Amino acid sequence: MAKKASRAEKIAQVMDEVGIGNSGDITINEILSLAQTMTKSLDGVYRAVDASVQREFREIGSYIEVMKTDIAGLQANDLQETHLPTAGKELDAVLEATEEATNTIMECAESIMCADASDHDAYKALVDEHLMKIFEACSFQDITGQRISKVVETLNMIDERVSRFAKRMQVEDAEGHANEDEADRARRKKDLLLDGPQAKGEAINQDEVDNLFSAA
Amino acid sequence: MAIDTAMPILVVDDYKTMIRIIRNLLKQLGFNDVDEATDGTEALQKLKAKQYGLVISDWNMEPMTGYELLRQVRGDERLCAMPFIMVTAESKTENVVAAKKAGVNNYIVKPFNAATLKTKIDAVFGV
Repeated sequence: MAKKASRAEKIAQVMDEVGIGNSGDITINEILSLAQTMTKSLDGVYRAVDASVQREFREIGSYIEVMKTDIAGLQANDLQETHLPTAGKELDAVLEATEEATNTIMECAESIMCADASDHDAYKALVDEHLMKIFEACSFQDITGQRISKVVETLNMIDERVSRFAKRMQVEDAEGHANEDEADRARRKKDLLLDGPQAKGEAINQDEVDNLFSAA
Repeated sequence: MAIDTAMPILVVDDYKTMIRIIRNLLKQLGFNDVDEATDGTEALQKLKAKQYGLVISDWNMEPMTGYELLRQVRGDERLCAMPFIMVTAESKTENVVAAKKAGVNNYIVKPFNAATLKTKIDAVFGV
C-alpha cells in the first residue's frame, strides 16, 4: 500500500513537472520523461519479478531433470524393443506348443476310438503306440512352464518400474479410459458379461450353476 | 422318452479344439450329425438355413458372443423354441443368471466331462 502511494506520488510529481496536469500540449520529451520516471519507479518490481520467475524456472528445470531421470528409469525402450516382443514370442510359442500337443493327443484318442477292436493283438499294438505318442506330447508342459515363467518375470519387471515411477511422480489414477477403443472394449465387456475364466476359488462350480438353475 | 440321436446339432465355439472335443463327446453319446460355427453370426446364418435340434454354444466369441446369439435366437419367431445349452468358462453367478433370464436351457462350466454333457442334454430333452 505504501509502495503504491509512493509510486502514485512520484507519477503525480512528474506530471506536475512536465505540465500534464495543466491544460496544454504535451511534447515528446515530456512523454519520454514521464516514461523514464515511471520505468525507474517500477524498477524494483521488475527486479523482484525477474528473481521469482528465475527461481520458478530453476525449480521447473530441476523438476524436469528429476522427471527425465525417473522416465529413463522406466527403460521404456528396453521394454518396448526387447522384453515385450520376447514375452509376445514366448506366449506365441506356448500357444503353438499346446495346440500341437492337443492335436497329437486328440488324433491319438480319435484313432483309438475309431479302431477295430475285433483283432485283439492288433488293437493292443495300436493302443500302445498311441499311448506312447500321448505321453510324448505331454512333455510340452515342461517347456511351456519355463516360457510362461519368463513372461511372468517380464510382467513383474514392468510392474516394478511403473510402480516406482508412479510413486516418485505421486501419480494418481485418472478416471475413465485412455482412449475411445479402450472405452469401447470396457463397455462391451461390461454389457456382454465377458470376464473369461475366473481364478480358482472365484469361479462357481457346476453344482452351484445347477442350483441356480433349479432355483425359481 | 428317448432322445433322437439323428438330430443335427450345432456346436458354436471360436476354439477349434473345443469344437473337436465336443464333437467327439457327442459322437460317443451317439450324435453323429454335428455342424460347427465359430461365432454367433455364423451360427445364426446356419440356424436360419437348416433345422437343428440343439445348439451348444460358447459364450465368449467375436464378433457375436454366445449370449448375443441366445438373445437373437429367443427373439426370432422361427428359432425361439430351439434347445440351447451354454458351454463356457464364464463362471460368474451373474453370467448364469443372465443366461437363465435370456432363456438358456442349461449351462455347463468349462472344463467339463462327458457325463456332465450327457446329463445336461438329457435334462434339456426331459429324459
